[in-house]
Amino acid sequence: MSEETTPLTELLAEASIDLDASAASRDEAIRLAGAGLLAVGAIDESYVDAMIDRENSVSTFMGEGVAIPHGTLAAKDSVKSDALSLVRFPAGVDWDGNDVRIAFGIAAKGNGHIALLSQLATVLMDPEKAAALRAAETTEQVYALLESDEDE
Amino acid sequence: MATIDGSSIKKLIVACDAGMGSSVMLASQLKKQLAKSGVTVEHSPVATIPGDADVVVTQAGLADRARGVVPDVPVVPFQLFLGDPAVAKVVKAILDGDTIEV
Repeated sequence: MSEETTPLTELLAEASIDLDASAASRDEAIRLAGAGLLAVGAIDESYVDAMIDRENSVSTFMGEGVAIPHGTLAAKDSVKSDALSLVRFPAGVDWDGNDVRIAFGIAAKGNGHIALLSQLATVLMDPEKAAALRAAETTEQVYALLESDEDE
Repeated sequence: MATIDGSSIKKLIVACDAGMGSSVMLASQLKKQLAKSGVTVEHSPVATIPGDADVVVTQAGLADRARGVVPDVPVVPFQLFLGDPAVAKVVKAILDGDTIEV
């Protein structure tokens, strides 16, 4: 089964990565993740509110200090292209009681992001790689971890 | 409660609200874990879970909506995206061909 693949550096653009951010609240953290998607024109601004709505109904906390905020199905029209953003909070953010160090904002119109999310799941299932991701201080380190190591 | 016969499962659906993020990540893990079993693993928004699913796994908060969409399909709610025991139990039942209660 072949899935449409978009190059990692296009899907998660440097302009959408902030490795040294701080946020006083979960919603502020989500807005920063949304800003990373706005920076590359992947979404309309209204999508950011949908990201917060979604988080209020069902958490996107994944474990290993990572959350993947994204909008609701109803907000899919405000997505213009597949894109991810990455915001790292070295001091952590209280995410409904969970300590979040990295938020991946997700905007998905098609399936271009699936390979990247799949690789992210693989990283998070490996405690050492997950720790390396939380500690990443350069975009090169981020890309090296998220570059798919599978032939697809 | 519903009964799942692991040996009869052909299609497992991971459902979330938008089918955009959370379900994609879990589905990718389950695809790997179930690669040898020949079971089809797909992700889907809760609202459009396909009727030919044999079992649905979804976040606990969405389980009732999932049951409303496919009343005849067993729905397995989970709390954790990574390493949830309820999901692990379903995977094991499929791989071993066991029957479990969910």
